[in-house]
Amino acid sequence: MQVFKVFFKLIKRNFGEILLYLIIFLILAVVLSSVNTGSQYSGFNQTKSRIVFINNDENSAIVDGLEDYLAKNAVIVDMKDDSRTLQDALFYRDIEYIVKVPMGFSEKFYKGSDAKLEITKIPDSISGVYMDNMIDKYLNTARIYVNNMKNISDEELISYIQKDLSQTANVNLSSANTVKEKDFSYYYNYSAYSLSAILILGVCSVMLVFNKLDLKRRNLCSPVKGRSINLQLILGNLVFAFGAWFIVVIVSMLLYKKDMFTLNGILMILNSFIFTIATLSISFLISNIIKSRPAMSAAANVVALGSSFISGVFVPQYLLSAKVLTIASFTPTYWYVKANIIISSLSQFNAQSLKPVFTNMLIVFAFAVAVLAITLVVMKQRKTVS
Amino acid sequence: MFTHIYLYKLKNIIRDRNLMFWTLMFPIILSVLFWMAFSNLTKGEVFHDIKIAVINDTAYKENVNFDKALSYVSADNEDKLFDVTYTTMDNAKKLLKDNQIEGYIYFDDGLNLTVKTSGINESIIKEFLDYYVQTTSTATTIMAKNPSVHSSLAKDLSNKVQYLNEVPAGSANPDTVVYYFYTLIAMTCLYGSFWGQKEVSDIQANQSYVGARVNIAPTHKLKVFSISMLAAVTIQLIEIFVLLLFLIFILKIDFGRQIGYIVLTCFAGTLTGVSFGAFVSSCITKKEGIKIAVLIGGSMIMSFLSGMMYAGIKTLISRNLPVLSYINPANLIADSFYSLYYYSGYSHYFLNTALLCAFTLLFSFLTYITLRRQKYASI
Repeated sequence: MQVFKVFFKLIKRNFGEILLYLIIFLILAVVLSSVNTGSQYSGFNQTKSRIVFINNDENSAIVDGLEDYLAKNAVIVDMKDDSRTLQDALFYRDIEYIVKVPMGFSEKFYKGSDAKLEITKIPDSISGVYMDNMIDKYLNTARIYVNNMKNISDEELISYIQKDLSQTANVNLSSANTVKEKDFSYYYNYSAYSLSAILILGVCSVMLVFNKLDLKRRNLCSPVKGRSINLQLILGNLVFAFGAWFIVVIVSMLLYKKDMFTLNGILMILNSFIFTIATLSISFLISNIIKSRPAMSAAANVVALGSSFISGVFVPQYLLSAKVLTIASFTPTYWYVKANIIISSLSQFNAQSLKPVFTNMLIVFAFAVAVLAITLVVMKQRKTVS
Repeated sequence: MFTHIYLYKLKNIIRDRNLMFWTLMFPIILSVLFWMAFSNLTKGEVFHDIKIAVINDTAYKENVNFDKALSYVSADNEDKLFDVTYTTMDNAKKLLKDNQIEGYIYFDDGLNLTVKTSGINESIIKEFLDYYVQTTSTATTIMAKNPSVHSSLAKDLSNKVQYLNEVPAGSANPDTVVYYFYTLIAMTCLYGSFWGQKEVSDIQANQSYVGARVNIAPTHKLKVFSISMLAAVTIQLIEIFVLLLFLIFILKIDFGRQIGYIVLTCFAGTLTGVSFGAFVSSCITKKEGIKIAVLIGGSMIMSFLSGMMYAGIKTLISRNLPVLSYINPANLIADSFYSLYYYSGYSHYFLNTALLCAFTLLFSFLTYITLRRQKYASI
């Protein structure tokens, strides 16, 4: 088993660089999955946004009522009406929303002419949409009362609106544990990036040495059979790849404990196992194409980052454009992430719900086989050339 | 003499293919990836109809108004919100379990919604139901007090008035997507440190053959070193501008209009990057691999802290540990671009640029202190 031993001696020599990607991954996984848990889309139990309410109008019932209503559903921060202070606060997300009531707003509102509040918010933010909605609802309800009940008093108006807006539909959650499961799906998505980088670097750094022309010639005239050398190399590659995969799995078990031992967790582990095989196959191909160590780092970074970015590892797939996803579908990462998404939302395990999961896994596996076939052709060609 | 050293240094730098890749090609590739991944974020995602089910029992059929409201938002037109299946309770439960629908609606002492998780789609369904319940409450109250307004009420209920007028915060909206590209430029500036590292190695006799050769030449070391640093800055500046042109004209990233200030930031950032590399290289006496690792690790950590991987980090730091955002060159560079884009004034911008210049001076001074009068008894 000399060749096998040399394989891991070479891995050891490059361990620093490989370790770097493992550490990056662990930091990413821990930080990002703790940030992502129930963050902006926390749905029904909204965290209150911090807002600023500036009234340049007189204190009319409608404006005061609106302020009271917002105070109940958001945190009103007291801040000076100075554009620089407000800009800074908004930029650093100290506040998320600014409402300015311009002069003469109440008068215009009661008259039914063009009354507008000036609002400033963080664009495309969920909190912004919620606040918009809240103010919109309040003022529209007020408008309906004012238009249809001519002699309504201020107190009546405010209390009616409050009563109306306090009504909500009842919401039941059918299964309580599904939110937690999303955590490890983030973790496994990020692992696609690290596994690709680690495998490409590891496999290439070893294969580059074995593919050196002089060394190859020396090995060919050694008493060890060619087949034996190749088998040991394959074994070395497999052990290395599954070792990397194993670390990812172990860490996920430490981080998510019980959750990993559910059916969802086990399917996720199986999915990443298949992905590891496909990535190994790609690493093997790259190791046969590149010729130098600098090219190896470049290839590792470009391939790992590239496939991760377009396949929805860093940015969720539903936010990517259809064109990008079409390109991404030529990488196994896309199908791996797709299977992960489906697995994380599974709550029932039957033939119908599992079918898309296994289809995606099969596609990833097909990538492994296809790339391996290409690699063998490339190797054969290089052999005949040299 | 000056032109001779300068030109040969330029040639020497351009022929370093490996570093050319990392300082020029890699940022461009990364920017394309950012662009592919983020371009859809600002345009607003493609909205897919939300699949829901409604329990079609007698309680539901009694609520004619709800049926009307629902059929209005599920009609096949541009405003279509829901894809509704009318079914029984058992079937709806099964559909929900199989992920065929997002939730189901039923009447049982008021409107009820059952969902599986709490996501954005579920919030939209709830928002719709809440709105229905609230409007119904309004209508009931008014009809009880003043039944004569039936027709005008119906009209009032169906048209919504826009009361909001959005005013941007600064000269532009705070946009996290452009910010990612700013951090990318910051990272590229810091990658200039590779050139600084190379130039220092090339003048130290115990680090490279070129260094050994330069040391026996009669030229003054400070002269050789300053000229080669100038060449490094030249190349790095050209690379930054190539990246900038690529971002502006091909990817169409918005940089605001103050081109002069943008160039100034690039200049300051490049100087900081190159001098940072020289500083690291001069104070670490180990092999080149270690130096490179420190530079990559350092620039990655700085980029991460400035928000390149996750923009929220920047907010987190400026809220909890503001000092860190002022001693992080990557953050200063990205922040300069952003303040040009976002703030109407320049005070924030000038503070950042001044700090960058201060860092450059500090790094250069420290490099000079460590490099001066180095003699080699043996190499």
